[in-house]
Amino acid sequence: MVENATLSEGDYGFVLKLDDAVPFSDSTGLPSVKYNLSLEPGECVFVECRDSFRAAQFTDFCVGLLPVKPDPSTGKGQGTVSCMGLNWAELDEKRAQALRGRIGRITDDSGWIDLYEMHMNILWPSLHHSRTSYDKLVLEAVHLAESFGLPGLPTQLPEKLSLLDRKRSEYVRTFMNRPSLLLLENPINLGGPIELYNAFLTELTAARERGCAVVWIGSERSAWAGYARPGMQRFRLGSNGLVK
Amino acid sequence: MNFSERFAVINSGLAMLGRFARSQPRFFLVMIGAAWGVVYETLRPSSWRRTVIIEFRRNLRQLVGSGFFSVVVVAVITGLGLVSQAVYWLGFAGMAQMTGSLLSSVLLREIAPILVGVILLGRSGMLMLTEMGTLTTSGRLNTLNGMGIDPFLVFVVPRTIATTVSGITLGTIFSVIALGMGYVACWMKGIVTSSIWSFIFDVINSMEPGDYVGIPLKFLLSGASVGLCCCLSGMDVTAEDNLTTFMPRGFSRGIMSILVINVLIDIILGSL
Repeated sequence: MVENATLSEGDYGFVLKLDDAVPFSDSTGLPSVKYNLSLEPGECVFVECRDSFRAAQFTDFCVGLLPVKPDPSTGKGQGTVSCMGLNWAELDEKRAQALRGRIGRITDDSGWIDLYEMHMNILWPSLHHSRTSYDKLVLEAVHLAESFGLPGLPTQLPEKLSLLDRKRSEYVRTFMNRPSLLLLENPINLGGPIELYNAFLTELTAARERGCAVVWIGSERSAWAGYARPGMQRFRLGSNGLVK
Repeated sequence: MNFSERFAVINSGLAMLGRFARSQPRFFLVMIGAAWGVVYETLRPSSWRRTVIIEFRRNLRQLVGSGFFSVVVVAVITGLGLVSQAVYWLGFAGMAQMTGSLLSSVLLREIAPILVGVILLGRSGMLMLTEMGTLTTSGRLNTLNGMGIDPFLVFVVPRTIATTVSGITLGTIFSVIALGMGYVACWMKGIVTSSIWSFIFDVINSMEPGDYVGIPLKFLLSGASVGLCCCLSGMDVTAEDNLTTFMPRGFSRGIMSILVINVLIDIILGSL
């Protein structure tokens, strides 16, 4: 592959494709069964999962961190997990990391690095994966921060911010740098303010219109009840794997 | 005790011996592999992303900034104590001409790299160890991996390079201040009457060609080993570890690595 080549949406059919993929995991996490999921650009899939550990393992499986179980007879992996047309198992570490840079994630623990202030935490993935100038990134972050109800980019340490502001900051980080795929683990707290919920859905819709695919994992169906439309794929992630 | 009981005791004894034998070189081998990884990543221009540069600058500022005052204080004490005592007793024994060679061989070649390494370890290495340990146990490094950010690249590489640079920076400052203070102390007591230039000339004159490589190399590698050892010890913690277990382990590994580096360089350069 040419170093400077970029992938446009026409180059790959699905943003995320799990094709009979069996994860390499123990009995406590993701069940070792076949997973099938296809996600086109702009598509949104809802996955109901009440176990946060299992949900985290599933998103790790989608981003290639949890490998595919090898077939004892052939030695090859059982099924494939591809992102933007690229099979995780065939990518070397550097390319896999670059591809993960195109994915926006919301995780249960948020993963803030307490050594840096919040603005650096927000900009960190974009600074690492892109060559966009610092000023442009700050402008984009400020615009997103304001749309989520923050007065600007928060400059305190993550631990000094309120839970709500940390959530807002997490949204900003997730939507930064125009991701091609969003993996959202319980992105909505139903106890939060309605303005934040609306702002999140607005940004989500805007991202989908740009061609970003979305996997929305929630413990309650009611979380996406206001957003789901007929025809959208819905699954349940349980002890039998991903079930429609 | 019957045969099966004896066998169980021998079996558990051998298992303990095996565990010990396997655990001792494990970290050493990890260090060697990681050191090669740091060199490899440092030489690749694409590794120097903005996040790596930011982390490098932050750590260099912390290392040199916080270590500077400690190094000055220790250098002044060493200069007043060791240098003035050495000059006094050598003069008393009628061996004043040995002053330069003694100072270059003892202070610059042996004491300075170890003291600077210990200061780096105590002032900043333990902080690195705690930070990396906390990031590991809280799962933050896994989250970074999920974002496509390699923790080795953004934390271990810049921190190791920063400790290497600060090792030679603080080492040079230490050497100059210790020698200068030693001269000032002796001059004030009237033990030496020569100028500071002839005093420095004596020290430089007594240095062997290998010292010009060995001393900077000791400063550089002492710093590098502190950075690498603390980062890896922090990343090496398990779910069962806590501050009371991984801090002493990291400290002893750090001290050991400083001593091993210094002895190895002495042996290699001494045999040349």
